[in-house]
Amino acid sequence: MDTATWEKIQTLFHQALDLPELERDAFLRHACTDDATMLAELHAMLAADAEGTFLDNDLARVAAGVIEEPSATQHISRTFGPYTTVHLLGEGGMAVVYLAQRKDLGGHVAIKVLRDAWLSPSRRERFLSEQRTLAQLNYPSIAHLYDADTLSDGTPWFAMEYVQGISLTAWCAKHNCSITRRLQLFRTVCDAVQYAHQQAVIHRDLKPSNIYVKDDGSIRLLDFGIAKHLETLETPASQTVTSLRMLTPAYASPEQIRGEAVSVQADVYSLGIILFELLTSSLPYDLSNLTPGESATLLLDHDTPKPSALVARNRMADKPALVASRREWADLDVLCLAALHKDQQRRYRTVDALIRDIDHYLSSEPLDVRRDSLWYRASTFVRRNRRAVAFATGVLVFIAALITWSTLRIARARDAALAEAARTARVQSFLVNLFDGGNEDTGPPGDLRVVQLVDRGAVEANALSTAPRTQAELFETLGTVEDHLGKYDKADQLLHSSLALRTKLNGPDSPEAAEALLDISKLRMDQARFDEAEQLARQALAIDNKQLPPSHPARAKAISVLGMVLEDQGKYSEAIPILQQAVALQSAPGGVETDLSASLTELANCQFYSGHLDIANSLNQRVLAIDRRLYGDRNPQLADDLINLGAVQYEWGHFTEAEKYDRQALDIERSFYGNDHPETASAMTLLARALNAESRPADAVTLLKSALSIEEKAYGLVHPRVASTLNDLGHAAQRTGNFDEARADFQRMADIYRTVYNGKHYYIGVALGNLASAEAAQKQYASAERHYREALAMYADTLPANHKYIGTTHGKLGRLLLQQDRYKEAAQESVLAYQNLKAQPTPPTDALQEIRIDLQQEYTALHQPQELAAILH
Amino acid sequence: MQQEKSEIFFDPSREPIHPAMPRHALDDLFSAAYEELRRLASAIRRTDSNATVSATTLVNEAWIKLSHSPDFAYQSKLHFKRIAGRAMRQLLIEAARRKHANKRGGDFAFVTFDEAIQHGPARAGELLAIDAALDKLTELSPRQAMVVECRFFAGMDATQIAQVLDISEATVQRDWRAAKAWLGSALRQAD
Repeated sequence: MDTATWEKIQTLFHQALDLPELERDAFLRHACTDDATMLAELHAMLAADAEGTFLDNDLARVAAGVIEEPSATQHISRTFGPYTTVHLLGEGGMAVVYLAQRKDLGGHVAIKVLRDAWLSPSRRERFLSEQRTLAQLNYPSIAHLYDADTLSDGTPWFAMEYVQGISLTAWCAKHNCSITRRLQLFRTVCDAVQYAHQQAVIHRDLKPSNIYVKDDGSIRLLDFGIAKHLETLETPASQTVTSLRMLTPAYASPEQIRGEAVSVQADVYSLGIILFELLTSSLPYDLSNLTPGESATLLLDHDTPKPSALVARNRMADKPALVASRREWADLDVLCLAALHKDQQRRYRTVDALIRDIDHYLSSEPLDVRRDSLWYRASTFVRRNRRAVAFATGVLVFIAALITWSTLRIARARDAALAEAARTARVQSFLVNLFDGGNEDTGPPGDLRVVQLVDRGAVEANALSTAPRTQAELFETLGTVEDHLGKYDKADQLLHSSLALRTKLNGPDSPEAAEALLDISKLRMDQARFDEAEQLARQALAIDNKQLPPSHPARAKAISVLGMVLEDQGKYSEAIPILQQAVALQSAPGGVETDLSASLTELANCQFYSGHLDIANSLNQRVLAIDRRLYGDRNPQLADDLINLGAVQYEWGHFTEAEKYDRQALDIERSFYGNDHPETASAMTLLARALNAESRPADAVTLLKSALSIEEKAYGLVHPRVASTLNDLGHAAQRTGNFDEARADFQRMADIYRTVYNGKHYYIGVALGNLASAEAAQKQYASAERHYREALAMYADTLPANHKYIGTTHGKLGRLLLQQDRYKEAAQESVLAYQNLKAQPTPPTDALQEIRIDLQQEYTALHQPQELAAILH
Repeated sequence: MQQEKSEIFFDPSREPIHPAMPRHALDDLFSAAYEELRRLASAIRRTDSNATVSATTLVNEAWIKLSHSPDFAYQSKLHFKRIAGRAMRQLLIEAARRKHANKRGGDFAFVTFDEAIQHGPARAGELLAIDAALDKLTELSPRQAMVVECRFFAGMDATQIAQVLDISEATVQRDWRAAKAWLGSALRQAD
């Protein structure tokens, strides 16, 4: 038959079908008068059409007719080399397993035979691969390979250790094992898997039915049927497809389900599920009654429940549940969930890491994963989320503003020591809160230092060269954190790396480069390199002015930073209009409110320093209102605003008002951080200052001693924060008349600063000066004079010549000399003090009045009234 | 015997359904299809002849299992079904060929097919005849042979076949009816 004939036959066939049945025969006879073959063909076709054909059968039914499976007894007493089969043990898509006996020696083995070897080359390859794997693995808790060969028809088989026992989960249930026992067994399984990993073999199908416990309690790992050699993992996707088809969904890792490349972490995940099952007697997800597609969705998209939650539910339902303390469950939850985390970045990297934490748990030590979790969170946070990183940087800018405020409080009390401490605490709590999500159970341990975190971050960031954009952001964030921690060299290095990357990626005139310049500008501010800071801020602003629309938040931020630079240099009159510009932009629609709050804070700062206390006060009120809206009533942010409001009241001399604000602030810190937190201690010290000013030094001393003990516990005995509180305590003690205590406090303060700053910092001068004052009060003239002079020497080394501390100290030294009737020397000091303080932007009237009186006495004693008049006018 | 030793795989020279599809992907498709067939076959034997598992379910299952694979990612579900239909056909024919050989006294091949013939309908011979007739039909009208593969071996309906072969549904119906009648008559002649 040819195509034309077939076309003709079909045409006639359809025409005949359109006719009533009785007319068809006549029609066909007429059409095929001279072609009997065609007529016969058409008759046969019509008959087949009417009766139905084989093709109307269901395919599966046809399949059932041709595809067979061996029945349980079918292959008994078959011979495989020296072995004879006894009975069927099990069968799967790939292979059939028999129990067999060695004829000569009598021992039992399991024989595994490939089923349907002819089907495709990959089946044979897979089977032989399992055989090779088993041959390679020689470990007590992995079933041994004894023998392997091929039948005469080419069907491969192998003999392995016959394991008589029950599955791991069944064994634990049967023996009613405790958590400790379960973990010990589980650890043995982990050891076997870790051994396989060391041999470059990934199991890929770990599940309780592949893990047997023998009667003697020993473990055997079975079925490396879809195991994979690590070195071949990079090769075609067919391998993952194979595993996809073969694997057991309930124990398969998300990356396996997605058909992605599989690493040792896939086994870690399966082990996690097994652990989950051992702890709760159920699987984390119920996949029964779900289609494969629905299972995949559930496994990929849903959060894993905590084992403890399931156990609690079981207990409520009066089902048997394992017993452990709340604390132990918290550890088990963390351990288990870290093993089966959907995100590989947050899963245990290796089985070894999992084993270590099991050991930690069994010996009641802190888990490694708790220590690492903050870092995982930090790194994945930064790595994954560009926007979030930008946010983090924003928050850090915000913190920078808060730190400036801290500086303000301190400047008021002539003690900048708190600044460093506030930085550390703020940044630490920021990171903890940001990356911890407020979950106490999985939070980082108290001993994790931000410094370590950031150092690890820098190492990690350097390895990220394949993702330069993220790397730049990581460098930026870490650099900013280092800056806040006072590690300026590291910050410098990181921020310049960020700048270099951004310049390369986006060009030197890009807003991205401008952002990096601003970060370096802020670093220069902290390093007191103000000229450079100002130059960098102006450079960044020039770029933003050119590249960004006037209303762009980044531009407003650059303006704000320039304002801060000017403020830090004491150029308040220049800073104020610039910060006002930033505030105007940020108040407009589309402005970032947290940025606005920061700029307003700086502006209030400038007004405060310029002596415009009422303006500072109303700006602070505005900040308070914004922050209340942004953060609610009970946020530490509010505490800072209240403290700033208190500072203005303090300056006004309204000490009871200041006390009120400080008490509110303390209340917030206490309820947010708890009684023993450094932040609470910090608020205590501020309240103590107000009490001191209200002439209630005894109350202040009590409060300060509490604060000191909290800080000593939190920071250690030698820490700037401790020194700062010692300073306050010394002052309060002195006012109660307890000069011995005051001297001891100031002495300790000086020692701490000497250690912390390697003997060179003006804080040491402050401490020595205060010590000298306490000594002077006890008329210990010699040592007082020595300490004043040491303080002045320190200031000369560390402060600008016109700094008011220098003037003040000259004044105090002058009075000390005057008390000893050393008029000439005294007059020398008093003149220096008078000239210095009078030239200050806001001359301290009280102090100047005191010094005038001293000068009068001195020059009167020296009989030089004309000179006195010349000095005073 | 030579035939039995040779291993089955999709033969691209015969008719490349998708030339870009890698060999190992087809290999996997075959194994997946086969294991589904085996599963269904045993389900049918267990639940006896009233089981209603269709080729549609069967191919759908295979699709679910393989659809995540990057090799199948560029395939539409319908094209996949068409390929699966081809795979089903070859698998069944190969199985039938072995069974037939055994029945006629071929070498004993362990763990392949042997005694259980009497349990299921003796369909091996019919399948082989259908296969031979389908080959003939391919020479006469390749499109019609494809319609048969899609319909019988992949369980696709007329709408889907029309879409995948880019012809009208009416043409699909006519092609199918004529081809089925012709194949049916060819089968009777083979008996």
